Amino acid sequence: MNPGQTDQEDLMRLLFSVAHQDRKAFARLYEAIASRMFGLCMKLAGQRELAEEALQEAFIQIWHHAGEYHEGRGTPMGWMMTIARYRTLDLIRSRKVRQTAGDDHLEHVEDQRAGPLDDSLRNAGSAQLTGCLEELTDVQRDSILLSYYRGFTHEELAQALSSPIGTVKSWIRRGLLALKRCLEQ
Amino acid sequence: MKKTPERIESLAAEYVLGSLRGQARVRFERWMMESARVRQEVWFWEEKLGQLSSEVPPVTPPRSAWKSIERRLWPQTARVKARSGIGLRWIWPGWSLTATAAAVVLAVLLVQQPTPTPQLSGAIVQADISDPLWLVSESGQNNLLKLRSVAASAADAGKDYELWIVPEDGQPLSLGVIPAGGVHQVTLTDEARTALSQSRTLAISLEPLGGSPTGAPTGPILHVTKLYEL
Repeated sequence: MNPGQTDQEDLMRLLFSVAHQDRKAFARLYEAIASRMFGLCMKLAGQRELAEEALQEAFIQIWHHAGEYHEGRGTPMGWMMTIARYRTLDLIRSRKVRQTAGDDHLEHVEDQRAGPLDDSLRNAGSAQLTGCLEELTDVQRDSILLSYYRGFTHEELAQALSSPIGTVKSWIRRGLLALKRCLEQ
Repeated sequence: MKKTPERIESLAAEYVLGSLRGQARVRFERWMMESARVRQEVWFWEEKLGQLSSEVPPVTPPRSAWKSIERRLWPQTARVKARSGIGLRWIWPGWSLTATAAAVVLAVLLVQQPTPTPQLSGAIVQADISDPLWLVSESGQNNLLKLRSVAASAADAGKDYELWIVPEDGQPLSLGVIPAGGVHQVTLTDEARTALSQSRTLAISLEPLGGSPTGAPTGPILHVTKLYEL
């Protein structure tokens, strides 16, 4: 569900007004995108409290920096979602929230591992990026999507996929380079 | 560290993805300040990977979120408004309409999707093999659990792999014998679905051909895996 061209133009107008300190435009901007942004924060953070904090910080940042948006940053929606994603990742890091929190009772199981990615997002990811994700191997794609959607660190990926950190790093590095080659074609 | 094109390319992608951490992240942010070329590479990835965010389902934030944003941006005004009891009026009519609309949409979604169960997925892997043996994913409809074989090898002669749900309490529930190759689908009973959604734990044991004769694992447990919600 990509917002259409008109939506982006509306958002652009709102963003322009926000850059000129228009509080009503800011409230309308919030109404227009807060739920999509909160969905992303929730997915990444995995908990409401942190997601809400990230949402607030993202909007505060948008209020202060709306004037810095330009076309080179992608669509207005994409730019604002990127801000929300960075704020969420920052909060996860600063509070050291672990994606695997709550799995402690499994510690006695020596070979626990998992790759948390469901088909809907995996397929959704394929629909985006002009099909380039499909050029990657399964492990490369899953590592990248897990980092993107769940904010997994190398360590968390290594634990989740029961693979050495070096292997996980190389999946991501090679996967991203392959993705770029494909996107540039 | 020199800003070679290869390094910029690789680090920018990892910066946007979020996997670049700690000092390396700080160092790269300095590169971004110093170099337009680096910033452009970052924007490229923000735009490309950002497309993925459009696939995440929206979640209506609590009303307190907006109030907090206002309070944090304009503490003086927020205090005055709170005292006078007016001033928020210009936003609330629009807001409550949106909220009502959202509630209606949610109600419709709930009717259409009586079981919006979280989807589980995971991987079954072996420590010294870099590729997972099987990837496991749950289909939202029809209680289907799908195993995609990646690097699993056939069981020993005269043996079969059997898949189990390990519940939080009680005996493992058999999901039957699974092949080492291809894609295998299992339909979960309601009981199995409930057990799996609670424990999110699967196991694979090595059993005689055709599966365990007793209904409980008899051979060695080869793998135990914890599924995650996404």
